[in-house]
Amino acid sequence: MVHALREAQGVLQPDGILFDLRPEPVHRRVGILSDAGYQEIGVMREDLTDDYFANRAVKQVLREGLFRSEKHIEFNCNRVMDTLNDFRTWLLDFVDRGNPSQDSLLERVEHAHLTLRGRKKIIVSAPLMLRRLRNLAR
Amino acid sequence: MTLRIDPERNEVHALKGMADWRGKRVLEIGCGNGRLTRRIANLGTQVIAIDPDRKLITTARKELPARISERVRFRVGSAQELKYPKETFDIVVFAWSL
Repeated sequence: MVHALREAQGVLQPDGILFDLRPEPVHRRVGILSDAGYQEIGVMREDLTDDYFANRAVKQVLREGLFRSEKHIEFNCNRVMDTLNDFRTWLLDFVDRGNPSQDSLLERVEHAHLTLRGRKKIIVSAPLMLRRLRNLAR
Repeated sequence: MTLRIDPERNEVHALKGMADWRGKRVLEIGCGNGRLTRRIANLGTQVIAIDPDRKLITTARKELPARISERVRFRVGSAQELKYPKETFDIVVFAWSL
C-alpha cells in the first residue's frame, strides 16, 4: 500500500492532489426500508484488517513528508437492493471474496422481509471516508 | 440483479466539494466497472481509469456513455506499477482501492 502511494506520487504533478476514498473500518449495517419506515436488521461480519493497513500506509507517507493531509470527511454510502434475491446474490459474492459467513444475518433479513408489508428495499450502509492529500514533491 | 450503489451520489458530491475538477487530468485507481469514473468524468475532467480485473474493464468500456467517451480511457492496470510518465496527472483518486 505504501508502494502504491509512492507510485501515485510519481505520476502526480507537483502540488497535485491525491484522494483516498474508501470505507471506514466499521462493520456495515443492514436494514429494510418499507411502508412502515426503516428497520435495522443487523450488522455484517467482515475482516477489517486491510482497512487498518491502509490507514497505516497513509500515516507512513505523511511521516515521510511525501504528502500533506489537508482535509478528511466522512459520509454515508448506501447499497440499495430491491429484492431478497438481489441481497442473496450480493451477499454470496461478498462471502466468496473471502469474508466470513453471513448466514445468521441472512436468516434475520429473510424473516423481516417476510414479516414487513408493502414495497420493500434492502439497504446496506457504511460510512465512507474521503481524505485529500497534497503532493509535496518539488 | 438490481443493485444501486450510492444512489444519493454522496461520493461524487464529496469529491466535488474538495477540489476544482474542471479540465483536470485524473487517474482513477481501482475503477471497477466504471461507476465512479462516469461521475468523475461528468465533472469536466479527462480520466484514465485503471483496474487489474480485465472483465470489469470490459464492462466499464461497454457502459461508458458516448457523450463522455472522448474524455475517458479504461486500462487494465495496477497501482503497484503505474506505467505513466512522471507528473502526468493533476489528481489521483484511489477509489476503494488503497
